[in-house]
Amino acid sequence: MADILAFILAGGRVDELSVLTFNRPKSAMPFAGNYRVIDFALSNLMHAGINRVGILSQYRSASLITHIGNGASWDMTGRHRRVALLPPSTGQMESDWYKGTADAVAHNQEFIWEQGPDLVLVISGDHIYRMDYRELITFHQEQKADITIGFIKVPRPEAHRFGVGVIEKIRGLPGGRLKAYQEKPDQPPSQWASLTIYLFRTSVLLEILKTIHPRTHSEGIEFGRDILARLVPHYRVFGYTFEGYWGYTRTLDEYWQTHMELLNTKSRINLKQWEIRTNLNHERIRERQPAYVGPKAILDQVLLTHGCIVEGTVKRSVLFPGVIVEEGALVEDSILFFDTVVESGATVKKVISDKLVRIGEKARVGGGEVQSPNESFPDPLTSGLTVIGRNTHLPPTIRVGANCILYPFLDEDFFRESDIPSGATIS
Amino acid sequence: MSRTVVMLLAGGVGSRLNVLVEARAKPAVPFGGIYRLIDFTLSNIMNSGLERVGILTQYKPLSLMSHIGSGEAWDFEGRTRGIKILPPHTGKKDSDWYKGTADALRQHLDYLTRYDPEQILVLSGDHIYFMDYTPMINLHRAQKADLTVAMMEVPIQEAVHFGTGIVNGQGWIVDWEEKPKKPRSNLASLGIYVFRTDYLLDALRVPQTLDFGKDLIPSAVKKDRVLLYPFTGYWRDVGTLAFYFEAHQDLLNPASGLNPEAWGIQSNPEEEGLRGDRSPVIVHKNPKVNRSILSNDTIIEGQVIGSILSPGVRVGQGARVLNSILMHDCQVEAGAFLNRVIMDKKGRVGRKAYLNGQTTIPNREFPEQLHEGLLVIGKGAQVPPGIRIQGNSIVYPWIKEDDFSGDEVAEGMTIRPRTVTP
Repeated sequence: MADILAFILAGGRVDELSVLTFNRPKSAMPFAGNYRVIDFALSNLMHAGINRVGILSQYRSASLITHIGNGASWDMTGRHRRVALLPPSTGQMESDWYKGTADAVAHNQEFIWEQGPDLVLVISGDHIYRMDYRELITFHQEQKADITIGFIKVPRPEAHRFGVGVIEKIRGLPGGRLKAYQEKPDQPPSQWASLTIYLFRTSVLLEILKTIHPRTHSEGIEFGRDILARLVPHYRVFGYTFEGYWGYTRTLDEYWQTHMELLNTKSRINLKQWEIRTNLNHERIRERQPAYVGPKAILDQVLLTHGCIVEGTVKRSVLFPGVIVEEGALVEDSILFFDTVVESGATVKKVISDKLVRIGEKARVGGGEVQSPNESFPDPLTSGLTVIGRNTHLPPTIRVGANCILYPFLDEDFFRESDIPSGATIS
Repeated sequence: MSRTVVMLLAGGVGSRLNVLVEARAKPAVPFGGIYRLIDFTLSNIMNSGLERVGILTQYKPLSLMSHIGSGEAWDFEGRTRGIKILPPHTGKKDSDWYKGTADALRQHLDYLTRYDPEQILVLSGDHIYFMDYTPMINLHRAQKADLTVAMMEVPIQEAVHFGTGIVNGQGWIVDWEEKPKKPRSNLASLGIYVFRTDYLLDALRVPQTLDFGKDLIPSAVKKDRVLLYPFTGYWRDVGTLAFYFEAHQDLLNPASGLNPEAWGIQSNPEEEGLRGDRSPVIVHKNPKVNRSILSNDTIIEGQVIGSILSPGVRVGQGARVLNSILMHDCQVEAGAFLNRVIMDKKGRVGRKAYLNGQTTIPNREFPEQLHEGLLVIGKGAQVPPGIRIQGNSIVYPWIKEDDFSGDEVAEGMTIRPRTVTP
């Protein structure tokens, strides 16, 4: 196989995930109990034998740094293997923050020269999927492509949210020549949505990066928005079509839906078969004992992890390591991150709680009949989800409606009202 | 604490655990879903801040060695830290297998002295307990003892299984009885010893000293400074199938005091493909799960009550698993019934099979080892669909479906591979 260097774009800041990404980039978002979203990209790379990786991140990367560690979890340590976190560095300019994905790669050309690969694979660290990049690479090489972009078919009404390609499919092959590319078009010319997977011939990538001048782009330079479309006429650009599951979870609702899908017997996300690996030192996963289910517990469609203690009732929910559900508590349709405690008699419905949240005795959080959309966050929060930021402690007997956003680090004393109406944001 | 070297005796055969030790040493026997017995002692060593550990192995050490690996899981990697497997080595004599606990140490005098320790802590690797060894070592030094023995009060009728000590008013042990028929004392030795290094080296010079409990301590208490270190708290020997089963029941009872996570017990999740980063537990629709321990990557579609499930266990639709211990990757197919079953790794129970450990008739071949109403299935055994197996039976490892004759196995039977007649 060719000598390949990979970049993972892991810096993405997403306002849509609200309080959950106040302290972490989306790639470091916890997922399915034991994992972080970036584990999917890293595990895919590992399984493809690609073990030289640069991670481009600048936004709140502390949790990412902890998670990546030395890369041993993905077998990326050794004489010729490495995973390097590449944060922005001070350069000659006043501010050398990454201004977009292409700019981030451009800042790290030295890393490319140093490694001297034949091909550079640029992928996003934000997506839930299992893909064997070796098939993409073989396709790229057989077509003598300069650039190959990964696409997946999405429902037509969704296509406008993505980069869309027009692919001249070659019979019997997973893809073909890319005839056109448009970023988030109002009238999508096809259903092929970009997976943010770009494979470049190294010399071509370096040539492209030379043409980048961040000063002329006040909004930054993105591969998708600013570069791909204009490459199509000048280079051998191919589209590779992928047929597996792809989860992009851009909004809170999508994030929640993806987790609910995990609970489905016929889930297309098969964590075991996909062999997703993670860093077990992060959040002390490896130090925790298996889950304990008490004598009065009721479990129905639940995903559980080590360190969980369930004495109450849990339905259609995902419990991350260390979650405690006390006797008489009820948790439904919820996602509870690390070490969340639901005290006895409390009711939690359709809630995403960040780590170390405590829900006091007999509190009632989420759900409810009458729901108004979130006032400060009307776009994504209309589906009835209530989101609680990390370390926030809700006092006993408090009532919190649906579509609420509670900020991180709020103490019990902070809540003066005994009733927080649907749609409220508490900060 | 850098002046303490730990010698961990991990050679135990543990034959009373029957098929569970068919291919592994007793300290490597799985426990509590994700642990092995030795994890308790190794973690206690780590949490006591001790840094130099020699592990004496002898009997079927393979799974033990792969479990310990580099010692990284217990933080024993580093410039001043280290864990070393010390197997028996051939010397001048015909047979240099260890002839006892003291003899095992004698074969590794070079390791004992390499780091010039002030004292040597001797432990065994097959007990379930939590202990910080620091206060014991401190007491040993403060009292200038030659040897300090950790002991615990046990019900007098149980003292027959232990080394027991008679203690004077100042806390010195003045007499010793090894596994006495009629115990005079209910102070039982836990197999935890701190030796002054010079004292131990002198004692090991006597070639007749083969075993601590049988030889060294009985003579030491008569003439030397042998100190009691009283231990209170949860401590359990799991050397029999019944004890092993009971200790697992303790895990399900928060009041028992057995709490691996609170004790800081570490396992090695990276061992031999049993990776810790398995997928989470999935409990499907309409199951019933109570009073149980579930490890990652278990998938439950049936009923699980009073049971401990290791990673990778599957409980199919309508299957019922009661009061059982299922180790890694066991499959219980739809409609099967298990009560009081200990099932070693990678076993499979076919659809609608009925396995009930409960009985009063002991195992015919091993009445001493299996008489408490349990059913033991060896590693990788395949139990055919629809079969009925009664209590106190033993199914040998790697049994195939056609090794069973008929569709019923009576109480107390032992199923071995069918011998092929030409």
